[in-house]
Amino acid sequence: MRDLGSRRIAWSLGWSVIAFLYAPLLVMAVFSFNDSDFTGLPFLGFTWRWYSMLLADDRLLESVWNSVYVALGVVGLSTLFGLPAAIALDRFEFPGKRWFGRLVLLPIVLPGVITGVALLLFYMAMHLRLSLYTIMLGQGTGLMCVTITEVTARLRQMGHSVEEAARTMGANEWEVFQKVTLPGVLPALIGAMLISFSISFDEIAVTYLLTGRQNTLPMTLWSLLRREATPEVNAVSTLVIVASVLLIVFGTWLSRRGSGEPVVSPG
Amino acid sequence: MSDATLAMGRDRRQLLLWLAPPLLWFAVFMVVPYGMLFYYSLGSTDYMTFKPGFSLVNLARVFQTEPYLSVLIKSARIGALTAIGATILAYPVAFCLAFHTRSARSKFIIYLLVIVPWWAAYLVKAYAWKTILGTSGILNAVLLNLHVISEPMTLFLYNQFSVVLTLVYIFTPFSILSIYAQLDRIPTSMLEASSNLGATTFETLTRLVIPLSLPGVVAGGIITFALATGDFIAPALVGGPDALMISNVVINLLGVAFDWPMAASIGIVVIGIGTALISVAQYLEHRAQVRY
Amino acid sequence: MTAIIEARQLQKHYGGPLAVRDVSFSVTEGEFLSLLGASGSGKTTTLRMIAGLETPTAGSVLFRGQDITHVPAAQRDMRMVFQDFALFPNLTVWNNVAFGLRLKINRGRVTHEEIKTRVGRYLETVMLSGHAQKLPHQLSGGQRQRVSLARALVTDPPVVLFDEPLGSLDASMRKSMQLELKRLHRELRKTFIYVTHDQEEAMGLSDRVAVLQDGCLLQIAPPNDIYFRPNSAEVARFVGAANVLEGIVESKGDGVAVVRLAGNARVEARDNTALAAVGDSVTVMLRAEQLRLSPAAPGTDGFVARVTERLFLGEKVRYELCVHGSNTRLSALDTGDQGGFQLGDDLSVSADPRHVRIIGQSPPQRSAP
Repeated sequence: MRDLGSRRIAWSLGWSVIAFLYAPLLVMAVFSFNDSDFTGLPFLGFTWRWYSMLLADDRLLESVWNSVYVALGVVGLSTLFGLPAAIALDRFEFPGKRWFGRLVLLPIVLPGVITGVALLLFYMAMHLRLSLYTIMLGQGTGLMCVTITEVTARLRQMGHSVEEAARTMGANEWEVFQKVTLPGVLPALIGAMLISFSISFDEIAVTYLLTGRQNTLPMTLWSLLRREATPEVNAVSTLVIVASVLLIVFGTWLSRRGSGEPVVSPG
Repeated sequence: MSDATLAMGRDRRQLLLWLAPPLLWFAVFMVVPYGMLFYYSLGSTDYMTFKPGFSLVNLARVFQTEPYLSVLIKSARIGALTAIGATILAYPVAFCLAFHTRSARSKFIIYLLVIVPWWAAYLVKAYAWKTILGTSGILNAVLLNLHVISEPMTLFLYNQFSVVLTLVYIFTPFSILSIYAQLDRIPTSMLEASSNLGATTFETLTRLVIPLSLPGVVAGGIITFALATGDFIAPALVGGPDALMISNVVINLLGVAFDWPMAASIGIVVIGIGTALISVAQYLEHRAQVRY
Repeated sequence: MTAIIEARQLQKHYGGPLAVRDVSFSVTEGEFLSLLGASGSGKTTTLRMIAGLETPTAGSVLFRGQDITHVPAAQRDMRMVFQDFALFPNLTVWNNVAFGLRLKINRGRVTHEEIKTRVGRYLETVMLSGHAQKLPHQLSGGQRQRVSLARALVTDPPVVLFDEPLGSLDASMRKSMQLELKRLHRELRKTFIYVTHDQEEAMGLSDRVAVLQDGCLLQIAPPNDIYFRPNSAEVARFVGAANVLEGIVESKGDGVAVVRLAGNARVEARDNTALAAVGDSVTVMLRAEQLRLSPAAPGTDGFVARVTERLFLGEKVRYELCVHGSNTRLSALDTGDQGGFQLGDDLSVSADPRHVRIIGQSPPQRSAP
């Protein structure tokens, strides 16, 4: 008997909040089909015009590819460095462990702009030219905590007995990693990859400061939005939302299938 | 060498193998940049070029010279309002998920309904409110049609209200998830025990559910506060001149004034506050973890 | 004596097979009733329906003759002790115990002074006076359960419900808590309804035991009857170490029925012989500890069986036996290892006819070999 209080009151409040969460997204989607040069009422009729305009916009399409490129790089980096970090945090005690854990989480609570400024100073000192790669490095550092927290949580849930069992059966470290640890954390890892990908795809604060001549999609959108925008922006937004929804649903399904627990990651 | 020290040596090698690459990464791409931030905050500028130095003047200016301190306070206020607003909106949904959703299937669906707006493009969510609240926006159009107002109101957009509303909108899903995690941990038998001892729903809520979930809810609220305080998209899109926040100021210092030391100083102050907040949140979360 | 609680044809359906089907029984004032069954037998669901934590799909619950089926849990005059203790982690031991009384204060039914004396008294009863200011997580399992007991008793409810309260305690803690429960029941004279899967616990503590299986109430009777006079093979198998065997009634007379088991083994039954006629297939129960074992030799009583396993259990030895000329298996308990038989020994097995009980007729399609 977990029902606490009136089901009807609870749910009517609950659903109104959910409606509040979806209303703006729906408004956005609806006006991407409005046959009017301005976003807003009245609704003048249905059109695909804005979508076809968007498909003809080379600058926009190029920025989509830039974003995908950056996001893939970020996913690669955070897996390459985040996975070992998670294993180290789970398996070993070492001096400064708590501080390392905190340092890793720092980018979540710090304004992206501050992280961006720090990295910008660093790049300038190293005489690195700003490019998609500088964005990748910046985002990768900030998003590594996603992989680390997701994988650490999964490792903790797994416990060490399976790895130990493998060792008693004569597996060396590499075999333990490859045959036991990696398959075990894979669902969490994939979940973290998808989350990192979608955050990176959406990131603007760090990117804003580290961007070079090539823009990512949010940066292109940003410059579009700063001007009084046409419904073309709504069309892009709708597509971006649809894409991220697909990614999330897929990712959540995948990680639940693996661990039975949803990946709840405040990014 | 005894077996024990041999094993320890092997463990140490293992540890190094796993820890060294990420440690190195964080050293190069986090510690060094933040260190440089600190270094810059101690310097000064002379005609838009940086001059190294060792003075705390810039750090002092953050607290002494307008508008920095007041912007910082304003940002914190907007952050706090956001955290409170998001928590209030989030509680009923988290409550339904934790206490009024029976099957795993419907739980999953509601859960998806919550995370979709959380991960959906940030910029787009902020922009959506611009189209709703603007002078030619949906809200004005509806009110005009209903003859509630006779000309479009400028009241809705470009002020602190619209910034808070947008940020609340953005952070509500996150709050739902963090509050739900707290409520879901409360064992069913505890609620049953309460009602078995004669407590009404209200009494169970005020004596049990709310006190039990409070530390975790506050920890989540602190994260929301930190994220909202440092936001620069919402103020830039839907905020007016009086809704400029600390991140916008930092960007202006870099891009317009080229005052690197000042920007760095603000960064250092914010990092200090951020670290303190993380510690508080972790402490609260730790307190919420013991027991059951 | 009058019934304080009555369950009338209780049914609970969660989708799938019925969790509880047509369970009816009544509990008299001051009685200690145990609901005994394996997991999934419906015992906990039945208890929760009495507590009001679960709504019956059909049937009703009566309290002193009044239908309370739809009275909310909070308004029922009974308190529950949970398996996981369900202590409130944010409250001290004292405040946990005072929780129910504090609620009453709001309704003007109790004063601060009373709360103080009663909480103090009950903490003393469960021997926790020294731990009043501790938080639940600072206590041991047994102490937590005692807090939960005090919390249930402090409001002086006429009925106390227990849902496997000792299930999460270790063996020695269980034993001492069992004694404590027995003492409390004797001293407080409240009605206890007690769910457990441990038959020894059920028999040791209660005035009556209700045996449940697959949602059905099989038998409700005093422990002695449940043990010696089970009404079905299921009850016999569940309670104690019983050998439930099938055979055919060969002859009858003078209150004794001779039953032929597989392998031409014969036993005489004196208990419940009215149930079967000559030629019937029947189920007989032989309690393991009542089998008499002696080295097999011509002319000895009973039938011959071979020792296939010997388990030394301390105060007794358990033998697994196989009846000669069949694959019928039996368990026998030898108190104090008097026989000292070894693996492979052939034994002559006999039983006092008074302790051999005919439980019922076997289904005809499974006639004895």
